[in-house]
Amino acid sequence: MANLEAAQETRPSGDTAGSADVLIGVPAPTQGTLLHERVADIRDEFRSTHPSIRCVVAYPGIEGTGELSTLSEPAGELGSLRAVEYTLSHGAASTVPWLGLAPAYARLADLAIQMGAGACAILSPDLAAFDVHSITLLLEPLMDGRAELTMPLYAPSKFEGLLNSGILYPLSRALYGRRVRYPLGPDFGVTTSLLTRLGRRRARGTEVEDDQAAIWPATEAALSDSIVAQVHLDGRHGAQNEGLDLPTVLGLLVGSIFNDAERNPVVWQRVRGSQAGLTLGATVDRIDPGAKSAGALDVRSMLEAFNLGSRNLQQVWALVLPPVTLLEIKRLGRLTPEQFRIPDALWARIIYDFALAYRLRTLSRTHLLGALTPLYLGWVASYAQEIANLDAFAAEQRVEKLAKVYEDEKPYFVSRWRWPDRFNP
Amino acid sequence: MWNNVGQSLEESMDRVVNKIAQLLPAILAFVLALLLSALIGWLLALLVRRVLTAMKFDRRVSSGSTSIAEWSPNHTPTSLVSRSVFWGCIVIGILIGLTAFDASYDSSLAPYILAYVPKVVGAIVLLFVGSIVARFLSRSVLIGAVNMKLQYASLLATGVKWLVLVLTTAMVLDHLAIGGLIVDLAFGILFGGIVLALALAVGLGSRDLVSRSLEREVNRPLEQPLEEKLHHF
Repeated sequence: MANLEAAQETRPSGDTAGSADVLIGVPAPTQGTLLHERVADIRDEFRSTHPSIRCVVAYPGIEGTGELSTLSEPAGELGSLRAVEYTLSHGAASTVPWLGLAPAYARLADLAIQMGAGACAILSPDLAAFDVHSITLLLEPLMDGRAELTMPLYAPSKFEGLLNSGILYPLSRALYGRRVRYPLGPDFGVTTSLLTRLGRRRARGTEVEDDQAAIWPATEAALSDSIVAQVHLDGRHGAQNEGLDLPTVLGLLVGSIFNDAERNPVVWQRVRGSQAGLTLGATVDRIDPGAKSAGALDVRSMLEAFNLGSRNLQQVWALVLPPVTLLEIKRLGRLTPEQFRIPDALWARIIYDFALAYRLRTLSRTHLLGALTPLYLGWVASYAQEIANLDAFAAEQRVEKLAKVYEDEKPYFVSRWRWPDRFNP
Repeated sequence: MWNNVGQSLEESMDRVVNKIAQLLPAILAFVLALLLSALIGWLLALLVRRVLTAMKFDRRVSSGSTSIAEWSPNHTPTSLVSRSVFWGCIVIGILIGLTAFDASYDSSLAPYILAYVPKVVGAIVLLFVGSIVARFLSRSVLIGAVNMKLQYASLLATGVKWLVLVLTTAMVLDHLAIGGLIVDLAFGILFGGIVLALALAVGLGSRDLVSRSLEREVNRPLEQPLEEKLHHF
């Protein structure tokens, strides 16, 4: 925290013309009253730890839902922490409640520029990371110039964030060569200039369907060659799947990463391997609630979904996957639940083939991503059984191994991307 | 007698030659109309493509989950529109070309065939659209049902596909005025029969199966705690 102060003191005096030094932004609708309570809770602590920092917390109010309210201390007072509400149109809120969209980032970037804030911390609307320690960790590397983007490193948990572990992290790492464990956030720190870039992300796209597409801070940082650091955060987000079904979220998140791959082939085709990057903060040890009862984990329903897909979706998968992969899937369908394991190389190739089909529009993209769901559930069943008796650290190593296989299989993806019509048995 | 036969043959030959002579300019006019319409169509398609590209038509139309790109994933909306313009010009060219036959060929069959051509074109379009819709809906139902873990997903998808195809066929036949009331009646009986059969099957034959299935659905929340340990996101 002392570093944050020191960095602030070295900033040019012209910056004091603005009304804030840092901006904490919530990009998706949150409970205003809860946020006001949290601001009141940490205000004194913030003032004591950062007496020379002026901070504004901006949270969205959806247009037409009520009066704008402001909980404020006098603007410009050092050590102040103010909460302001900004308007967000209905279309700018994501289907996934914790996901920020480009319009929200653009609004927050505008606010940061208006206030003269050079660094921003973007927090999940559940406010799990809304504490002085986490905010300092996210902002400190930005203020002292060590990084332009700080991404979170949550305490490892075996059975959480499986979509991230199985597809998003390894694919993002293999494509852009940055080992960012949580490439989508939802809590991250970012410089105002990079946040502006995230807000403009939609305008550079080719399709309006991107309105609901997830914005990938880590990808944007890789594209702009920005320095990325990862910081260990203690915040624990609760179960994030209320009211959401898996195919919808899988389609949204995986579709958006495929979309990014489609946009930037020149960038990712040149990347080989991956770099670890800067990691800050102390590792957070946490007792994994799922670890003790892991042996009782029931994966039957997921295997049923996989087998059902294997029986019914062969014609659809045949449009996407090569014959040898289809044979492997059929073979997997005959295994007993205890024997069921999807090899990492096969899984990586499946994802790469789906990414290619997404680009080639082999079939409707909605159908394509829908057809991926049973395969993903099969992978989850396989992975969950494999790590059932491992501790959280060993499970994390298992994810790293999978990510390495994604990197090893990348030449296959590059080759298929460049020559999609070439014979592929 | 041979003279009469010879004379008759000569007269027949004369009539055939006359008809061919009358038909040749019409064929020439038809080919010319076709070539001209192809040329105009190509120019128009080029123009439309450039205008739509400048307007970023693909980006505007691709919004939403039920966009054109979803129905015809292999082609961009711009290429679909420009191709439609081109083939529309070709169809108009064919129709114009056929009027040349109308002028030169005085048979009573010609007006009938000419009046029928637009119906045939409409029927082909109906069939084409119907088959695309059937494929799309069938695939949507199949994938949706699999993701909802319905065991009879394939059966459901096949049912939807054939339902749409049968509906399309009935519409095509009706459009072509083939079969008249028979098609309407047959289609009504077929659809009514299917619905009645399903109602009877569910109500009587599969009563136990349905009740077991419903019970399973009702009891499903009891299994949730086991899956709660896994979080996808």
